[in-house]
Amino acid sequence: MPDTPGPGRPEPSDAELLHRHVAGDTEAFGELFRRHRDRLWAVALRTVCDPDEAADALQDAMVSAFRRAGDFRGESAVTTWLHRIVVNASLDRLRRRAARPATSGDEQAFEALAAHDGDHARSTDTRLDVNAALRMLPPPQRAALVVVDMLGFSVADAAVILGTSPGTVKSRCARARARLLPYVAHLQGNRSAAERVQPGADS
Amino acid sequence: MRGQMAHLDAEVLAEFRAGLIAGRRGARITAHLVGCDRCTALGDQLAGVSALLASVPMPALPDSLAQRLDTVLAAEAAGSSAQAGAGQVTTDQDERGHAARPAHRATGRKQRSRPSLRLLSLRVLAPVAAVVLAAGGYGLSRIAATGGGVTASSGSASSAERAAGQAAAPSAAATHANSAKSPVVRGAGTVPQPRRLTPDNFSLVAGTVSFSAEPATLKRQVEHELRTAPPAGAAATAPPVTRQLRGCVQNLTHGASLVRVESGRFEGEPATLVVARTGPGYTAWVAGPDCSATSRDVLATTTVTPGTTAP
Repeated sequence: MPDTPGPGRPEPSDAELLHRHVAGDTEAFGELFRRHRDRLWAVALRTVCDPDEAADALQDAMVSAFRRAGDFRGESAVTTWLHRIVVNASLDRLRRRAARPATSGDEQAFEALAAHDGDHARSTDTRLDVNAALRMLPPPQRAALVVVDMLGFSVADAAVILGTSPGTVKSRCARARARLLPYVAHLQGNRSAAERVQPGADS
Repeated sequence: MRGQMAHLDAEVLAEFRAGLIAGRRGARITAHLVGCDRCTALGDQLAGVSALLASVPMPALPDSLAQRLDTVLAAEAAGSSAQAGAGQVTTDQDERGHAARPAHRATGRKQRSRPSLRLLSLRVLAPVAAVVLAAGGYGLSRIAATGGGVTASSGSASSAERAAGQAAAPSAAATHANSAKSPVVRGAGTVPQPRRLTPDNFSLVAGTVSFSAEPATLKRQVEHELRTAPPAGAAATAPPVTRQLRGCVQNLTHGASLVRVESGRFEGEPATLVVARTGPGYTAWVAGPDCSATSRDVLATTTVTPGTTAP
């Protein structure tokens, strides 16, 4: 029954919300999304590396999840299923973008991205570098690294999210970490060396 | 090859650390690491990559995007209700060509797994309507300035939908006294059943409601309006029905049975409420001034489902 919960009733589980949605409760999906939206946004943003494209990807994913909720069979956690849809939508976006000529707006978008999620200078610098480094990765490797290293999913869950085998997840993550190393090594333990390089000293 | 081995490259070492290299090769790498500070340090750096990535704070979903997605999902809920109605509620839908589509969706909907189907059997006798709140062409200069420049979209979101998210964002906190009564739509008896309207033949009810961009508040407002008969003499004071408004109503309702068109306000600017019959729920869209036969300038949406109680 899609009744509103009474006072004192415990929060419905994700699965319960999804079930209510499938049963026609028009509020349930929105509540489910609100629970997880920051993490879902993080996956889209880090995978796509462009705020506008990531927003479109997240929207595509949520519309898709809304419609395909009836297909969810409970073989994984609802969050895993949601993340999978977001990752798929993000990679779809990247494939479509790859089919177009490179846009000159990418750098500006990246600057906006870096500027928007910073609170103080030090961590903003770190994120700028991390984001720039992530952009160097092929999208499948990037998605794997985002899901495992940034969001902390287990390899098994990541395999579900990425639609591949655990071995492939490990392999993508390993290659991605190796590939990132030259770009982020200065951020770990060698920060002072990185900070000595002051840009724009000459005119 | 046994014994001495060359220094490991980062990828091999990363694969080893991920557990991908076992057996004799793995044993050789293990043995090498015991005696090689350089490769051990490289391994530490690889671990540091993961630690660094884990330390990057997660970005919060921007408010503007949250608003936009709320709008999209509300429209989606409305659309699925409409679709469900089109497929199942034949007794109530005979005059309809097809159901209203969600504002952002140009392509056809897949027929499988429509969320509303199961519940529909319980509600098949309930009145079905959609509510569309559309800004008319009444000089919404501020909203026009916001939404007018947003035309290009690379995604499934239409320009109208993006405009919706952007225009609605500044008033997320806006609430309105109209929401205080929080009426309940319980069934057929509570909803006025006016004469049949069409996009070509309706009169605009003069309303005074300032509709909220906040979904829950808007929902309550729409519920209230649905239960309230048009005031006497409303036609005399209502703004004229423009061709653009007719086109807008046609565009938004997509042939669904029109129930009500009412002027109101949205974020301090004039707007128009349009009610049409679709699926098992009522749905509200808030559209911008550009709403016309060719432009779905939707600012916000909500749904009202008969038989449920708004919290």
